[in-house]
Amino acid sequence: MADNMETVLIFIKSIRWQDMVDIILNSYILFRFYVLFRITNLFRILIGLSILLIVQRIAVSMGLIVTSWVIQGITAVSALVIIVVFRNEIRSVLQVKNVRALFWGVPQASVQSPVQIIADSVVDMARKRIGALIVFPGKENLGEVVQSGTLWDGIVSKEMITSIFWEENPVHDGAAIIEGDRVREVAAILPLSRRQDLPSYYGTRHRAAVGLAEMTDALVIVVSEERGTILLMKNATITPVLKKEDLQQHLQEHLGMTDKNPSRVRKEKIEIWLAAIISFVMITGVWFNISRGMDSLVTLEVPVEYMNRNPAMEIINASVDNIKIQLGGSVTLMRSLKPDQVRVRVDLGKSVAGQNIFTITNDNISLPPGIFIKSFTPSVVDVTMDIPEKKELPVQVDWTGRLPDHLRIERITVNPSTVQIIGGQRILEHMETVYTEKIPLDSIKTSQTFVVNLALNPPSLKVAPGSKDKITVECVVKNIDTAQTAPPPKP
Amino acid sequence: MAYHVIESCLKQKKTILGCLTVGICLTAFSLMSNAAPVCAADQLKLSTATLCEDVQNRQPQNEGVVFSISSGQIYCYTLFDPVPEKTTIYHNWYSRDTLTTRVKLQIQPPRWTTYSTIQLRESDKGPWRVEITDASGKVLQVLRFSVTE
Repeated sequence: MADNMETVLIFIKSIRWQDMVDIILNSYILFRFYVLFRITNLFRILIGLSILLIVQRIAVSMGLIVTSWVIQGITAVSALVIIVVFRNEIRSVLQVKNVRALFWGVPQASVQSPVQIIADSVVDMARKRIGALIVFPGKENLGEVVQSGTLWDGIVSKEMITSIFWEENPVHDGAAIIEGDRVREVAAILPLSRRQDLPSYYGTRHRAAVGLAEMTDALVIVVSEERGTILLMKNATITPVLKKEDLQQHLQEHLGMTDKNPSRVRKEKIEIWLAAIISFVMITGVWFNISRGMDSLVTLEVPVEYMNRNPAMEIINASVDNIKIQLGGSVTLMRSLKPDQVRVRVDLGKSVAGQNIFTITNDNISLPPGIFIKSFTPSVVDVTMDIPEKKELPVQVDWTGRLPDHLRIERITVNPSTVQIIGGQRILEHMETVYTEKIPLDSIKTSQTFVVNLALNPPSLKVAPGSKDKITVECVVKNIDTAQTAPPPKP
Repeated sequence: MAYHVIESCLKQKKTILGCLTVGICLTAFSLMSNAAPVCAADQLKLSTATLCEDVQNRQPQNEGVVFSISSGQIYCYTLFDPVPEKTTIYHNWYSRDTLTTRVKLQIQPPRWTTYSTIQLRESDKGPWRVEITDASGKVLQVLRFSVTE
């Protein structure tokens, strides 16, 4: 028990403030992603994809080779398809007028039923004395009480509603059923009310409206053709409507679109909080998996980068080019680690001409977050710096191989006989000659001319601009047997 | 009286001219006699310098610039002509830029032939040079050669 407590304490102590920021920031990003996309179909597809990924992991762990491959293929293709198919949704979310909306606030679902249009239409029809009967279903199914009329399925517009109830229209005599933003049916026949207490001037239209309202939770609007009045009927209540705003409010309340609907507000709050908690839990899980999962070790050979070199000096020699670093971290992080993410930098800012010894510490090694250094070798780098200068040096031919016994090189002419070399002061100080690349003797049969490069050693040496780097060597060869000497041919 | 004055003046002029003539002659003679020793001191001249496989009868044999290690040894032959006085010269042998052998040689007037030699070993392969210097270290000539298989 005590051991467990100690482990938990060690774990809590090992959490850095950066880890907390990491988790909170990413949780919020995920949460915002949900908030922005929850009203689109995209989010449902993403949930489906996530489930597919989980199934794929399960399939892999169970050894279902083909299943895991197929799901992996589907998810890979789906990612591309989502971007193409849902580009409009993504654009509409990201192209917000107010950037603040991206990071704060909860966008409301767009109004499913165009209440404004309906209210306008109803008021307009009342003014024009056009009789109308419009049904807005509640949660109950109307199929059992309403005789199906004519399927319409048109998007609500003021012109359409007015034309449906225009007296010349064959379907004007029934009820129009509106669901969401669509007129589903027209000329629907509603059950008549049998109430005896209704005013005598209520005609069939009114009685049908009351009848449906009594039997279901639907909201029914009646526009009187004779009086130009608007009546709202819900349950057993008949409400006359005088203002368009009142009609809108009633419609919104019925359709559950008002902010004042406490159950809806509560439901939305719960949904948002739940999303926030799930985001936090998911990101914490991902973080734990990535940074505190199973440890693995990787050894990398990283090139040493020398920085802040004095421009007046050059690196003549460095004892090491690469540092071998053993790194540790979670398997996930190690798999995603790229060699160029690990860098070893040595600051030459304080180096002097000659030998400079630098001790490599962890500060010299930069790593991606979550990965730590187990060990590295070598821990000391010896860098020789020097001040570059020019020196005129005579050129000497470097022969190799063996000249045939009957031949003798009597004399050679080297052109140019001297070259200017640029190199470190300390190197040039001890250099008196610069040699050509090796010229093989074995192939020589007579006097001839060679064009060769200089063999500059160490490689930091360079031929100064203006000096020839190609050397022409004319050798005069004497045949001892015949004692003949011939001048070399032109190259 | 006037004649005496003129005669004494003429005598004085002759005396002055005579003195000037003698002075000029003495100066010229002095310069001529001193010039010879001053020039002779600077006239140490390296008239011949060569590398060869052997020296016989004070003459270089098989001169060259590339020598096989199988030849065993190399000679640096030098002929100084003239040699104004007994002096010392040096043959400095360098393998690449490393001084390996420094040979001190005495030369004597009026003309002197001298040489130095090195024994060749397997590790001696590569480019060489011999710097011939006078007693003060002034380089008189540099000879470059290679030792090969």
